[in-house]
Amino acid sequence: MKADVTVIGSGPAGLTAALSAHESGAKEVLLLEREEELGGILKQCIHNGFGLEQFKEDYTGPEYAERLIKEIEKTNVRRLLNTMVIDLTPDRAITAVNPEKGIFQIESKSVVLAMGCRERARGSIGIPGTRPAGIYTAGVAQRFVNIDGYLPGKEIVILGSGDIGMIMARRLTLEGAQVKGVYEIMNYPGGLKRNIVQCLNDFDIPLHLSHTVTEIRGKERLEGVVVSRVDEKMQPIGGSEKFIACDTLLLSVGLIPENELSKGAGIELSPITKGPATTETMETAVAGVFSCGNVSTVFDLVDYVAQTGMTAGRNAARYATGDWKKERPSVEVIPGENVRVLFPQRYSFQDDLILFIRSAKPIESPLSIDISPLEMHIKKLYARPNEMIRVKVPRDKLKDITESIEVNITER
Amino acid sequence: MDVEKKHFTCVTCPIGCEIDVELKDGEVVSMEGTKCKKGQEFVSQELGEPMRILTTTIPIKGAKWAMLPVRTDRPIPKRLLFRVIEELTDIERRAPVKMSDVIVRDIAGTGADIVATRSMNREKKGKFV
Ligand SMILES: Cc1cc2nc3c(=O)[nH]c(=O)nc-3n(C[C@H](O)[C@H](O)[C@H](O)COP(=O)(O)OP(=O)(O)OC[C@H]3O[C@@H](n4cnc5c(N)ncnc54)[C@H](O)[C@@H]3O)c2cc1C
Repeated sequence: MKADVTVIGSGPAGLTAALSAHESGAKEVLLLEREEELGGILKQCIHNGFGLEQFKEDYTGPEYAERLIKEIEKTNVRRLLNTMVIDLTPDRAITAVNPEKGIFQIESKSVVLAMGCRERARGSIGIPGTRPAGIYTAGVAQRFVNIDGYLPGKEIVILGSGDIGMIMARRLTLEGAQVKGVYEIMNYPGGLKRNIVQCLNDFDIPLHLSHTVTEIRGKERLEGVVVSRVDEKMQPIGGSEKFIACDTLLLSVGLIPENELSKGAGIELSPITKGPATTETMETAVAGVFSCGNVSTVFDLVDYVAQTGMTAGRNAARYATGDWKKERPSVEVIPGENVRVLFPQRYSFQDDLILFIRSAKPIESPLSIDISPLEMHIKKLYARPNEMIRVKVPRDKLKDITESIEVNITER
Repeated sequence: MDVEKKHFTCVTCPIGCEIDVELKDGEVVSMEGTKCKKGQEFVSQELGEPMRILTTTIPIKGAKWAMLPVRTDRPIPKRLLFRVIEELTDIERRAPVKMSDVIVRDIAGTGADIVATRSMNREKKGKFV
């Protein structure tokens, strides 16, 4: 099979990328999805809060997805469902498998990676204790409740205050379960303020900061967990242990980009975002392979995901139609003081530079985001690690850069 | 009368002002921490009748999935969230359904309709489970 642009994954990133590649003049756009429907993770995110920035509308996940799917259905973008990509080579040969065709190859002029992310599980955080049933990641529980229609348990403890965990705290409470508390190892919450208010406070679910689960108890089924307070170094404080009876523990301890395919294709990954390093065009270190959405870096708003999808799709179409020239080498975009996450990692002088920044710690006082060597200082009232900051640096301001671009957050 | 203290986190915008309010006989006597007028409006709404959108699921028959996601088409009083969930216990749909189809009109006297938030086709093929 041959294509101009092949998009892998049909969440908001992939759908937007496919649409944008089509609108930018790519003739044969192919969209591959391993599940039996388009839409990605949005199908199970039945809560509202999607698209507030992009559409000024408060959609639920399924509504947001269906809007995009309807757009795709109006185009000749070819959609292959139940199709899992199992390999990608540096020269853009794709190997996929589906029930009709078995294993087959696709040659594509350009490729967009949009495989999203996966949840960190118990193994990646190493809690000691037994291995009983009743421990799930929050996203798996979300699928059980919202799509399959069954409740994972009755008495629930949530470890980690990521958005998915908080959203599940509310969902399970509404479904009649008792959520005994959310325990967060950091001294600040992992998710958005609106979720703390509307998912926890509204239902009197306590949020315990600087706490973690230090032991799991139960033989066949989970019987309870031991929680402990932690010190500044996040080490459990002896004597602070408390047993909490519960039949279910949900883990909401972070997401990591799905990067098996990227690794196989020899794409350079960023040690910070754990996804492919890209330029502002979303091109990776492998020419003609672009990446967008949560496979690049974990975003907290779907609007940002869609923005990267649009950029990736447009540029993948340019690449495929031969409208792609690089006049000068790209430069590095470097995180400086107080910056934990910075995306994209390089600048290639083709587009405006739209930076996504996470601060290294919560700063609740006026600060400035300094972009050097430009004399650009963007003033903000606060910066929180759990709320990505988006900053646009226009292309014409960047044309004289020769070495690298550095981003610092300075408290004023 | 005693002064009653209340704390709110405004969710009108991402700043999320932390607002401290003092009340006497149910009347606001002081408010601290708001950065704009919307914060004040948020607090008076929260003190009067806090409103929320409810999203949940109902069982669906004849579709690929077991559950159909639904929402209230407008915010409803927070105190009625569980009432609405209860009124939905026996509600079930049969595929096909289109996004925005009304499932229940004027649920629990709130004036809000329960609407489907996605379309689901009827599964034509028989399927072993
Ligand atoms: C549980 C949860 C709650 C959220 N809540 C909100 C919210 O309230 N508001 C908000 O704005 N944002 C929210 N977000 C964030 C936002 O919705 C996600 O960041 C967004 O859905 C990510 O989009 P994506 O397209 O990058 O990935 P996904 O939606 O995960 O899509 C990736 C797709 O790629 C497919 N795929 C993966 N590997 C392969 C392969 N090898 N071959 C073929 N297909 C493959 C997957 O099946 C999937 O369909 C939430 C995210 C999650 C996970």
